[in-house]
Amino acid sequence: MHIIKLHRSLLKIKNAIPRYSTITALEESEYTETPEYPPILDMTREGKLLRRRQSFQSKIQELNTIEEKQIALNMPRYYGWQCIMLNNDKVPYNAMPLVQYYTRSHFIPVAKLPEAYNEIEQQASNILQEIKSQIEDAIAIELTDVERNFKFLQDKSIKMQQEDTITKCVVRQINRIIMNNLSDNLPHILSTQIDYDARHEAFWHIGGVDPPTTTVKWRKENKWPKSTHYESTDRPVQYIGSPILTLRNRHPLKPLIPYSEAENPAFKVDKFTTIPGSVGYFREFRHGTNIPGFWPGDIDEFGLLSYHGRGHILDRKTSFGEQDNIEALHCQAMKASFGWLLAQANYQGFTTFNDLTYPLVTQTVITNGKLWSLYAYQLNTIVMHNDTVDSNPKHNICFGTKPLQLYETIENGKVLGLNEDVLKMLLQFYMNAPAERDHAMKPYLGKDEKVVADIEDDNRRCWLEERYKYLVSNRPKHSLIPEVYLWEKIYKIQHNTRFFEAKRRPFERGINPFNRRLDDHISPYIPKVLREYPRSKKKFEATYYPQV
Amino acid sequence: MSTRWYPIYQRGNPQLRVFLPNFWMKLVRPHPKQLPNIVHFHCSMEMTKYDIKNYLEKIYEVPVVDVRTKINMGKFKKDVVKGYVIKEDDVKVAFVTLPKTMTFKYPDLFEKSINEEEEHAKSLDESKKNFRKYIDHNKSRPDIPSWFSI
Repeated sequence: MHIIKLHRSLLKIKNAIPRYSTITALEESEYTETPEYPPILDMTREGKLLRRRQSFQSKIQELNTIEEKQIALNMPRYYGWQCIMLNNDKVPYNAMPLVQYYTRSHFIPVAKLPEAYNEIEQQASNILQEIKSQIEDAIAIELTDVERNFKFLQDKSIKMQQEDTITKCVVRQINRIIMNNLSDNLPHILSTQIDYDARHEAFWHIGGVDPPTTTVKWRKENKWPKSTHYESTDRPVQYIGSPILTLRNRHPLKPLIPYSEAENPAFKVDKFTTIPGSVGYFREFRHGTNIPGFWPGDIDEFGLLSYHGRGHILDRKTSFGEQDNIEALHCQAMKASFGWLLAQANYQGFTTFNDLTYPLVTQTVITNGKLWSLYAYQLNTIVMHNDTVDSNPKHNICFGTKPLQLYETIENGKVLGLNEDVLKMLLQFYMNAPAERDHAMKPYLGKDEKVVADIEDDNRRCWLEERYKYLVSNRPKHSLIPEVYLWEKIYKIQHNTRFFEAKRRPFERGINPFNRRLDDHISPYIPKVLREYPRSKKKFEATYYPQV
Repeated sequence: MSTRWYPIYQRGNPQLRVFLPNFWMKLVRPHPKQLPNIVHFHCSMEMTKYDIKNYLEKIYEVPVVDVRTKINMGKFKKDVVKGYVIKEDDVKVAFVTLPKTMTFKYPDLFEKSINEEEEHAKSLDESKKNFRKYIDHNKSRPDIPSWFSI
């Protein structure tokens, strides 16, 4: 007792003695002239959730490499996102309002190419005269003089596959002729890479769309306030395209419209809030992937031109009508252009949460050999998730033509009535030269580490590369996604007649199994024999997931 | 027109007439956020998309662009008398897409009756108010008849 009192009085004496050196140091570092308060945070539920989302998005922005960002985009869902699938080869009825809103693109129908192509027009008409006869011969040969032995797949219709196969051959021939003839005059043609049957995939989040009916029902059952029943959340969208032929180059194309025009309110797109299932776009569980036809690290990272087939138009019902078929082609072009450009932007370090800082341009051609539609698309923004869909002033722009006939008929192996304007426009597409840009192209990637191949730590590099390639392959998994069986739904959830059974299933313990994160798994076990010598305690292999 | 089997037509047979077909369609209210050119129907389980399209086009002359069908499972509920779980019958739902230019709005069938109910409630409230006023007025002289007032 007395010892404690003594101890206490000693402490008091010790604290009373001033320690001059530390006080002066504190004065210099802690005190300022005006008081600096920390920012006042919005402590409502919505404010806290918004801050959580924003911290996730800023963590993605700070990651160094492209592959880590793609893994981070998929981090919140172990079983994959339930994405709205936009495919290249299926367009439902009246899809134009939906596609325009989901790609944030304003469509401008044109009869001629936009003004940016006017300078090359004269040169194009000169070269056209030299190429005309070669192209006529190629078309005639491919369409009449080749004996074909088709091998049809089961999943698509025969008419569609037949037309697309012939289109592929015609397009390859035309591309070969044009590139060979232009390579003398134009230096960018020689350095352009050609991809046949490339794999184009793009993933983004769209906001401002009505939640699915199951979500609304769940909100009503769980007594959310009435005003929040139809509140929209981020809906993941995945585009998968299969172009016939694509050209890509080291440098990007020049913008069609100055970047400042992207905020022009004349280019605004109407909101389309109805659930996509009403139009005909359905959902699938898969990991979100952004692939522009090549792996990260390839030097030729900007697209110039892509060709697509239009066999799916033959499959559409006759009750849809001609006008809707033309709109379906416009939808296909907008999806294809936006998807490819978004994937290219992801390879520059921008994601659906981190906006573009400069415009990107691509050219798309949809054809079946006879009918050609040409489109030029400028991508100004890729951010359209729930927080920014209303506040983002920028929009993307698509110029498109109606289907134009290249020739009238083919008789006796000769093409009759060749439309020179169409060929001239196509040549202008090829002659549109890409140019190097002044500003920083990859502001959100690391200085030294841009791709996983740049990482020096061997273990981390190999692990990240393998994980990225496996994630992006979307191979069917051996384990199934969690499911509530029908008998459980009836006898455990709706009418609980099995109250005496042990509560082992996730829905009985209040866990939502779909909230499992990508890194929420135990890593492979290292047997004692394979551990480092001597006596390593490291039982499980190290994982190098990005920390988001 | 019906799921019954009718004799195959051979040359010389009379015109086939179908009596009491068992194909039926019932127009139902769509969910509140549906597109304006999509109409919801409940229909007989044996009807296919072609059947639904022909039914609407031939009988009602409605131009149909597309039909999608789905079978909704009946709800499970507890039987009132016995207490065990029973299941209601399944229903086939057809989502019929009309041409883009056409719209269909599900009619409001009970608009008039809601107004009538409101009017009844209003008049009841008014008469209650008047009665209370009368009682208040005659609080001090309860035994005198009502026509005897100043």
